[in-house]
Amino acid sequence: MTDLLRSIIQDAWPFWLISLIASLITITIIMLAAVGTMMLMVWLERRVVARMQDRLGPNRVGPAGLLQSIADGVKMFTKEDIVPRAADQWVHMLAPIVVVSPVVLIFAVVPWGRGVSPSDFGNGVLFVLAISSISAIGLMMAGWSSSNKFAMLGAMRAVAQLISYEIPAVLALLSAVIVSGSMQLARMPELQGGWPLVGTTLGGPDLGLGWFVFTPVGLVGFVIFFIAILAEGERTPFDIPEADSEIVAGHTTEYSGMKFALFYIGQYVLNFVLSMVATVVFLGGWQGPLLAQLAIGNLAPLGGLLSLVYMLIKVWGLFFVMIWLRGALPRLRVDQLMDFAWKLLLPIALINLFSAALWVTINLWGSSPAWTIKVIIPVVSIDLLGWLETASPIVRQITALIVTAALNIAAIRWVLAINRRTEDEEPEEAMLDVLEQRVA
Amino acid sequence: MPTSQELQINIGPQHPSTHGVFRMTVTVDGETVVRLDPVFGYLHRNHEQLAEVSTYIQSMPYTDRLDYFNSMASNYGLALAVEKLAEIEVPQRANYIRALMNELTRILNHATAIGFLLNDMGAWQTALAFSMREREKILDLFEMASGARMMCNYFRFGGIWRDLPPEFVPQLKQLMVGLPSFFDEFDKLLRENEILRARSINIGILPKELAAAYSVTGPVLRASGIAYDIRKAEPYGIYGELDFDVPIGSVGDVYDRYLVRIEEMRQSYRMIQQIIERLPDTIGGHINPKMADIGKQKTLRPPVGDVYARIESPKGELGFYLVSDGSERPYRYKVRAPSFLNLTPLGDMCRGHRIADVVVILGSIDIVMGEVDR
Amino acid sequence: MSIEFDQGKAYTVDRGAPKARNGQGMLAGMGVVFKHFRDAMTKKLDNPSEISGVFTVQYPEERYKLPEAARNFPILLYEDASGQELCTSCFQCERICPPQVIHITQAKDPVSGKAVPAIAEFLIEYDACMSCGLCAEVCPFDAIKMDHEYELSTDVHGGLTIDRAGLMRPISYYEQLAPSFWAEVKDGALKKLQGAIKRRSGLVGIAPQMVEVLKKREPSIQESGVGSQNTAIQNPEPRTEPIELRTQNPEPPSPPTPLPVGEERRSRGEGIAATTEAATPVPTAPASSITDTTAPATAPAIPAPSGDARAEKAAKLVAIRAANAKKNETPEGTP
Repeated sequence: MTDLLRSIIQDAWPFWLISLIASLITITIIMLAAVGTMMLMVWLERRVVARMQDRLGPNRVGPAGLLQSIADGVKMFTKEDIVPRAADQWVHMLAPIVVVSPVVLIFAVVPWGRGVSPSDFGNGVLFVLAISSISAIGLMMAGWSSSNKFAMLGAMRAVAQLISYEIPAVLALLSAVIVSGSMQLARMPELQGGWPLVGTTLGGPDLGLGWFVFTPVGLVGFVIFFIAILAEGERTPFDIPEADSEIVAGHTTEYSGMKFALFYIGQYVLNFVLSMVATVVFLGGWQGPLLAQLAIGNLAPLGGLLSLVYMLIKVWGLFFVMIWLRGALPRLRVDQLMDFAWKLLLPIALINLFSAALWVTINLWGSSPAWTIKVIIPVVSIDLLGWLETASPIVRQITALIVTAALNIAAIRWVLAINRRTEDEEPEEAMLDVLEQRVA
Repeated sequence: MPTSQELQINIGPQHPSTHGVFRMTVTVDGETVVRLDPVFGYLHRNHEQLAEVSTYIQSMPYTDRLDYFNSMASNYGLALAVEKLAEIEVPQRANYIRALMNELTRILNHATAIGFLLNDMGAWQTALAFSMREREKILDLFEMASGARMMCNYFRFGGIWRDLPPEFVPQLKQLMVGLPSFFDEFDKLLRENEILRARSINIGILPKELAAAYSVTGPVLRASGIAYDIRKAEPYGIYGELDFDVPIGSVGDVYDRYLVRIEEMRQSYRMIQQIIERLPDTIGGHINPKMADIGKQKTLRPPVGDVYARIESPKGELGFYLVSDGSERPYRYKVRAPSFLNLTPLGDMCRGHRIADVVVILGSIDIVMGEVDR
Repeated sequence: MSIEFDQGKAYTVDRGAPKARNGQGMLAGMGVVFKHFRDAMTKKLDNPSEISGVFTVQYPEERYKLPEAARNFPILLYEDASGQELCTSCFQCERICPPQVIHITQAKDPVSGKAVPAIAEFLIEYDACMSCGLCAEVCPFDAIKMDHEYELSTDVHGGLTIDRAGLMRPISYYEQLAPSFWAEVKDGALKKLQGAIKRRSGLVGIAPQMVEVLKKREPSIQESGVGSQNTAIQNPEPRTEPIELRTQNPEPPSPPTPLPVGEERRSRGEGIAATTEAATPVPTAPASSITDTTAPATAPAIPAPSGDARAEKAAKLVAIRAANAKKNETPEGTP
């Protein structure tokens, strides 16, 4: 944006001014995009869930009900803002802001298309993970300041859910970082061109389909990351915080009007932005067929547009899957949720990390002394891995594929086996417990 | 060693998941329920006392509002009781149509009960929307026959209000075509769903002995393992002539109750097929000719005495105890409501579980506050 | 475990081996939901044998045709040509009504003062009526029947206590709603009506909608004997019913005209007509009073009772109220 403005204004104004204006324009665009996206998301969700239930969604306000979100927004705006007298006024007011702002901040580092990234850090992944954790503080503030024991309970549960699902998310992203070798989010799609499974190793026309998700490491990482962002964004089946299962509305009990709407907005925008991160890292971001061919010469703007289209299709596709899950599945209980994160996702994520390391090692074996370990069987004195040093890239890639696939499948089966529920197979013992408690 | 203090919280009476105005005072230790006391009476409408000042036929529309989901079944209970008391015979055709309405009500009730159970578990109304769709089709049939969708007021003493209109059976047959795929789809959506299993297996176990001790009836009793169905134990109407099985559970948890209800729907479907086959050959008209005139219905003076008649309503045993003093108004009219009695073991079922399970267990008992409070 | 009965058995339900553990159950469920999504995007469910497709009926553009037996609220019938009401004021419906919402006043012959088989006033409180249909069932003269009209919402507080003028419908209206029901009872009802007509004279027992028509036909008919306007004459007891409410509602809700032949309403079995102009031609006044709460928007096709006597009563009422207000102001120092 700075460059664009500079080329228009041509040094007529000082640099800092151009830079400032450029930043302001970018920020405005991002905020508009965030809110506009949120309205579209709410509309899409209501219509799609309705169709899944054999009914139409809202279709009266505006064409096909598109203005329904505006009607809801007007409703939220015009409601009285009630703050309980015993509540901590400042914290109560700041909590929604603390929940929503980090979410919008993440928009700054995610690339929307080829070359379209508002602000290109060197460590975008770290930024995303760190900033998204700040929302948890906002949740806690909301629960605490309401001075309502149920809000506090709800907030504590929500925070527990958020922080326990961050760890598998981090590990999944780390596996992608290890494979791509950089934390820069804008760089990751560039590394995902080529063919499925083998990437760019084979040469030939660039199909733009060498997405990370088509490799064993990436597939497991994607699934883990997707489940983790479902939990981060409090979507079904992890929507305990927003459900009316327990007492009222959890941490948002004492909020009304626009503050409540802010929580709502924050949740949807967080889902969108985390889907964008998932797309960029695992699904190839703006990569797709025909893109490499369009990247040269006069067709570059068209290529940029196409990359934007691909990105949006993928992100909205992920959101559609989130809606689909919402329509189909009941929700997990809180303790089952935590079990799932710590006992199932975390071990698989750790082993996936190890797989990622193996992948990189096999691909780079022998390329430098740092990447070589001689494995010699003592008596027979055979160099076990020497053949790998001189193998061609494609052979290495295939070896890596096989090894990581085997390791991941074994890991998943093992973790599922050790998690098998014992109660399911021994109902009589559970019944005896019930009878004992009754007598006691 | 720090100890935790027990906390008493109140769920209801306004609550999205309590199936009506119902309140539970729950004492929790952490997340675990230690004690649960149901509090109800918010929907008490003096049904029994109203019946004492009305004639028997005037109480019939009020029974619609008892269990407002299954108004046909509640009507059947009163009709059966008065017919037993006054010794009125019901012709065969009327009995067949009554059984048809009863079984359609059963399908309707179980489908929506499962839908609401899923809703309580958080499935955001998908299963409920599917059940409501089938329920709408059945309600269209009810409207065709009796004139109203929910408050049917269809039964009279000695038969039913009017015979079925000619377009009823073709539309019923169309519905029958679609029902098996509905059951299968429901099953596929729910039976093997891991999250549903995790939320319902071994939750809310009601052991056999306790179920019998608490006088629990209906699908809840059968899910606990006791094979008792009034349609088999004390057949009324033409249930003695129909072929059907009685599904029972083994453990008595929420999952069993859900499974028993699905199987009962299939058995009802089987019964309706048999009724459709035999309906054209039934004789006797839609009402006992002696009682065909509404004047006879409203001046009915049963002989002095008392009677207890019961039917297998979709929620359990619906019983009517009538005491007549020879006049046209009952001396005492008591309703044995299945939801009321099925609710009493709620505290025992919930002890040791978490708060999120309480709502699920309540949903699995399938209560309707109109019956509980009368 | 299985117990055998005479016709059937008791069997234990199969809880299913825990085989679908690793997500297949959830995926199967998601498949079902996706199938519904796909069907709902492409077709409408218009047949009870289908189980997927859009099930929504977009009211008010699409409406159902209600079956004959459908009962919403009661109406009274009068014979089309002569305007004679079928009701003979036998009080059977008032007696059997479980919530006791029917209030009948029998008409008296204007000359002799004796009771005649006709009604002076007939009130039904629609807001308390249970729609049980017992009144229609018990009526020996087939005068009160159940209507199908359900769009009766109003924001006038007393607007749902309907009086005789609001309740009267011609027989042709009912015949069109429920042809086979009327065909069953038609002969008997008309024969009984002849018997009742013999005992009525003048305008007693004439539906309010038909009074003007009859007066034009036979100008010799007496003014007295018309129903709701001269209740003070025929009904000496002080009335506790809030007649005053009707003066607040300047025009009574006009009964809908009989629906023209070929009106576009379809039942679900034949598919739903999604036409936008399928709105009922003449909704009752309260339903159309959204924009104008004081007067119904549609002009009644049937003449309403004349306004002179009404205006007189209104003036009398104002005078009485002014006098009461003065009386209440004067006493002071009252505890």
